[in-house]
Amino acid sequence: MAEVEKKEVAAATPPWKPKPRPIVRLGIVLISHSLLVSVVCCTAGVVALFLLPMLAKNTYISENALMPGSASSMLSNDDISEAERLAKDLTSLNSGAADAGIERRRVLAKYLSDLGVEVGYHKFEPHQNQFHPLHFFSSPDSGLSRENGSCSSYGINVVGIIRAPQADGKEAIVLVTPFNFRKNSSSEALSISIGYAVFSLLSRVTWLAKDIIWLVADSQYGEYASVASWLRDYHIPVFSASSSDNADSCFEGNNINLLREESLDQTEISSGFRRAGTMAAALVLKVTDVKGQLEDTLSVYAEASNGQMPNLDLINVVNYLAVHRQGLRVKVEKFISVLRWEWIWVLGDTLNFIGKVAGSLNPEWKFGISTPDYVEGTATLANLLYRQALGIPTGPHGAFRDFQVDAITLEISPKVVYTNQGRRNEFILRSARLIEGVVRSVNNLLEKFHQSFFLYLLTSPAKFVSVGVYMIGFALLVAPLPLVAASLYVDANKPDPSSQGPKHKLQINFKPWKWLSAAKQVFTVHAWGVFVSLLPYFISQIPNSTPAAHSIIWFSLSTFGLLVLYLITKSPFKPQKGEWENLKSVTISVVFIGLLLMSVVNFATAQIGALVLVPACLLAQPLKLDIRDASLKSFLRIACNVFISFVAFPPVGFFVLKGVNEGSGNMDVGEFWTWLESLWAWNSATYIYIGMVHLPCWVLCLHILLHSC
Amino acid sequence: MPTANTQEENSKSELQKNHGGGGGFTRWAVVAVIFRLALIYFPGNLNLSSRPEVSTPLTSIRRLAEGYWLKQSSMSPYAGSMYHGSPLLLSVLGPLTVKRIEGQPGHILCSLVFVLADLISAILIRATGRKLQIAYRKSLKSLNLPNKSTDSGALSSGDIAALVYLWNPFTIVACVGLSTSPVENLFTILTLYGAATGLAPLAAFGWVMATHLSLYPAILIIPVILLLGYGPDAPPSKLFRSKEHGKVGDGKSSQEIIFSWRRAFHLLVWTSLWSVYVLVLCSISVKQHGSLQEMFQRTYGFILTVEDLSPNIGVLWYFFAEVFDFFRDFFLIVFHSNILFMILPLAIRLKHRPCFLAFVYIAISSMLKSYPSVGDSALYLGLLGLFLDELADMQFSFFLFCGYVGVSLLSPVMHNLWIWRGTGNANFYYATAMAYACFQIVLVVESVSSMLNHDRKLTKLSTSKLQK
Repeated sequence: MAEVEKKEVAAATPPWKPKPRPIVRLGIVLISHSLLVSVVCCTAGVVALFLLPMLAKNTYISENALMPGSASSMLSNDDISEAERLAKDLTSLNSGAADAGIERRRVLAKYLSDLGVEVGYHKFEPHQNQFHPLHFFSSPDSGLSRENGSCSSYGINVVGIIRAPQADGKEAIVLVTPFNFRKNSSSEALSISIGYAVFSLLSRVTWLAKDIIWLVADSQYGEYASVASWLRDYHIPVFSASSSDNADSCFEGNNINLLREESLDQTEISSGFRRAGTMAAALVLKVTDVKGQLEDTLSVYAEASNGQMPNLDLINVVNYLAVHRQGLRVKVEKFISVLRWEWIWVLGDTLNFIGKVAGSLNPEWKFGISTPDYVEGTATLANLLYRQALGIPTGPHGAFRDFQVDAITLEISPKVVYTNQGRRNEFILRSARLIEGVVRSVNNLLEKFHQSFFLYLLTSPAKFVSVGVYMIGFALLVAPLPLVAASLYVDANKPDPSSQGPKHKLQINFKPWKWLSAAKQVFTVHAWGVFVSLLPYFISQIPNSTPAAHSIIWFSLSTFGLLVLYLITKSPFKPQKGEWENLKSVTISVVFIGLLLMSVVNFATAQIGALVLVPACLLAQPLKLDIRDASLKSFLRIACNVFISFVAFPPVGFFVLKGVNEGSGNMDVGEFWTWLESLWAWNSATYIYIGMVHLPCWVLCLHILLHSC
Repeated sequence: MPTANTQEENSKSELQKNHGGGGGFTRWAVVAVIFRLALIYFPGNLNLSSRPEVSTPLTSIRRLAEGYWLKQSSMSPYAGSMYHGSPLLLSVLGPLTVKRIEGQPGHILCSLVFVLADLISAILIRATGRKLQIAYRKSLKSLNLPNKSTDSGALSSGDIAALVYLWNPFTIVACVGLSTSPVENLFTILTLYGAATGLAPLAAFGWVMATHLSLYPAILIIPVILLLGYGPDAPPSKLFRSKEHGKVGDGKSSQEIIFSWRRAFHLLVWTSLWSVYVLVLCSISVKQHGSLQEMFQRTYGFILTVEDLSPNIGVLWYFFAEVFDFFRDFFLIVFHSNILFMILPLAIRLKHRPCFLAFVYIAISSMLKSYPSVGDSALYLGLLGLFLDELADMQFSFFLFCGYVGVSLLSPVMHNLWIWRGTGNANFYYATAMAYACFQIVLVVESVSSMLNHDRKLTKLSTSKLQK
């Protein structure tokens, strides 16, 4: 009898329910308080982002072998005067003459071969950047087709190679100076002077352990294209006979033969493509004229495609030598408009005050930062995030990163345009010594750059935020997503007390699989996102149309596609309980996965995207419910939802950002198209992010808002 | 009508709409094949066949082509540690790798073979699912439990399992990426099909071939024997026994739980026959340039000693790249016996459900094997669909789904970061491999526990019936 009772008791209470493990209990607590947790985490994430300039550390040289500045410079005035002679020869040629370009190349080649180095020409056809949606996942340039361009447009780079006297020629350091052979430009001539001064010195020294390559890149079709095509030919030799024949036939009738025959009767000019070893580092040297500067400055550009940065040690070496040895002012680009924002200054003051108070409480706490430093750091950081998020390289150095070579562009701008030869020589001497010092440091390297950071943000040339710090802010920002998704999922799939049917029926319900229909919707919208991101490829083929027309066609086609999808997949059933919760849960999970992926591919995009998408997704709730509720809280939420979903629409977001940055002047619809076109032309992952994560999730958020529950 | 039931019906009808009945299956299967063919012709630069997730040293078609080339130039195909597969596969697929058709992508014939293998696998899964469902209904009937599957009409777990197998991105990637895993999967599925239908010779053939091709299916001999001996999956046998006690004179159900030694013996005989046959074929194939001993060393030895430490989605390569050489043998034994340790307890606990046992074995071995690829995951995910009725209450399905999607997207990105960009390192990629292994563990644990819960539920229902 007692046994039967026991059995009945066992049947009445749900069987087999052990106490959950601590980690599960912790998860349950977090999920049940998801609202509080998400508010706290999101706020903390945004605050952490604004604290980054304060948390930045001073840079230090991590690799011992670099030893920057340990040797005194060997550059003498003879090198400078020789370089100046070359610059004069180059500029004195009549720029109007048709063959001035050939003549300049010949002069340059003559000077180089007089140094006793190997000289070669590299001819290339400038490629139009192609749209490769899948390019990111494949190896660099595996899919680049070498189509037959027209013979009319091509450029010729001049390459000089110094073989290291005591090395096996397996490594090389690359110097690049962009130079337009067709045009006369004093600043470019100045950069050639600096390059030649260093190169002539390096051709004589005995300490070289790596070969030196000097690439005078023909910049008439853009600096990037010439460097990129030289690098491609350097790393990926072409063996197919047909294409090289074709290229040669192109040049046959042209002046390259002329060059070869007339310029030098010796055999210094090599016919084939000259190579040295693997590249340890590359420096791109440019001289620009910027008016109104107080001293000679050096701007460092480091962002390569998809926000990749060179090893921090390279920037450190340049910064150290420029500041401490040559007395140049080193700059990193910053958003000027940030400096004008009042609230940033107020924030800086507040942080300064907090830092001071903390310092007075405990002198050990030294996290104070002066207000101007904070604002400058924020402006620099904002610019860096923006440049990284665009995913477009900021100079020819970007081409090197695709082949895992660390490279930066050094843009030196003199205080005034020097007319006095003595002052000019001194400027060249300082710049050339800087380059010499960097080359000497890199020359000391035993291995590839690996010691220092690859993932960092700069807040000034001498301050950086490492990945371990900036990831905390991002992690805090996205942490609520899985929690809210889980809590919504639990809410939507709660066992309904009213539907507890007769216990003795073998009821196999597919309730735990109810999310499948929501997943189907999400998948459909993402498929639409893929369609929308592929559309520009076809639209851009339409001849003779303006960017504005392109964007209108694109917009209308996308909307049409969405409408068709909606009509096809519209569920004939009336909305069920828990449907929008499920949909929101799946959407949030997708956003989480997308942001996580993007943070690995391009951190800046993920950070900026998270700032927009996370609140949009977390706040989304059917407007109908809120209107029915009619409380202050719900009205507040409606206002937030409407505002965020308006701003989160990519074109609107673009124009709002532009308005904030440049003032609301003329707004052209075509600008958005142009901007996106530049993104896909450079194979930026941001384009894929916008098309396949941001836009579908925005549509899904709208869908949830307008849901008829 | 309570709302939950309408929801349930809605979701069911949606599923029906998607997967339909027999016609629906045919349609979707044809679309799946066309989709694969389109992908094969697609001139994409995805380089699927060189991705570590798709092709392992054992399954790569490029290595097979190399082995064939070595063989053609009168060398041992195993020379130079390139090829590690079966000599029979070499004889069948080898000639197809060199044959080119003008204007077609390379390896087109091999691709067609793999597409065909996938299709046959799906059909076999479907047939196995039918068998399992019939057995399930029969056992429910004999327990006098209401059968819901009859109401749902066209919704059959076999169809869904076959479609899941065909449309699983992992299967598609493995097929289009020219790895030989579709063929290996085919033989594993053939084993299960043969055992489920009671055809000892077929089961033996499938098992011998699958073991020959990839070694790990060897542990499937236990579920196959159980399947042949006890018949397809059924509720625990003590249920029937207690039912017999309740209703005296029902001799029907007692037959089902008797282990049929005759069939098991048949299986053993056929297994030995097929093994001898395969060995003879192999020895003929390798006789000119090598020996059977070399074959065993280069195939099974290669699998067991984890010689190739190139990155893959498994967890062993990183470990054995780091471990000191003098501990290597010890850890090799530890890792391999991991699989063996789990065989016996699982076999005892799940002996009444041999097909599910086979699924669990396959999942565990694809997690712990030395060179796993997505093709292995495709196999067990497809088989998971066979137990849809039993696993309907499975927890964490959404979590697992998100995890699989996330990891399979993150893994190539991490690989790119490590290999091509140079800003990441091996730890990045290995982290995704560990996450993947964790999700697989969760999947196995959850599916086993929900299967046991299902059994408990059946027990409860039938005892409450008896007490009435």
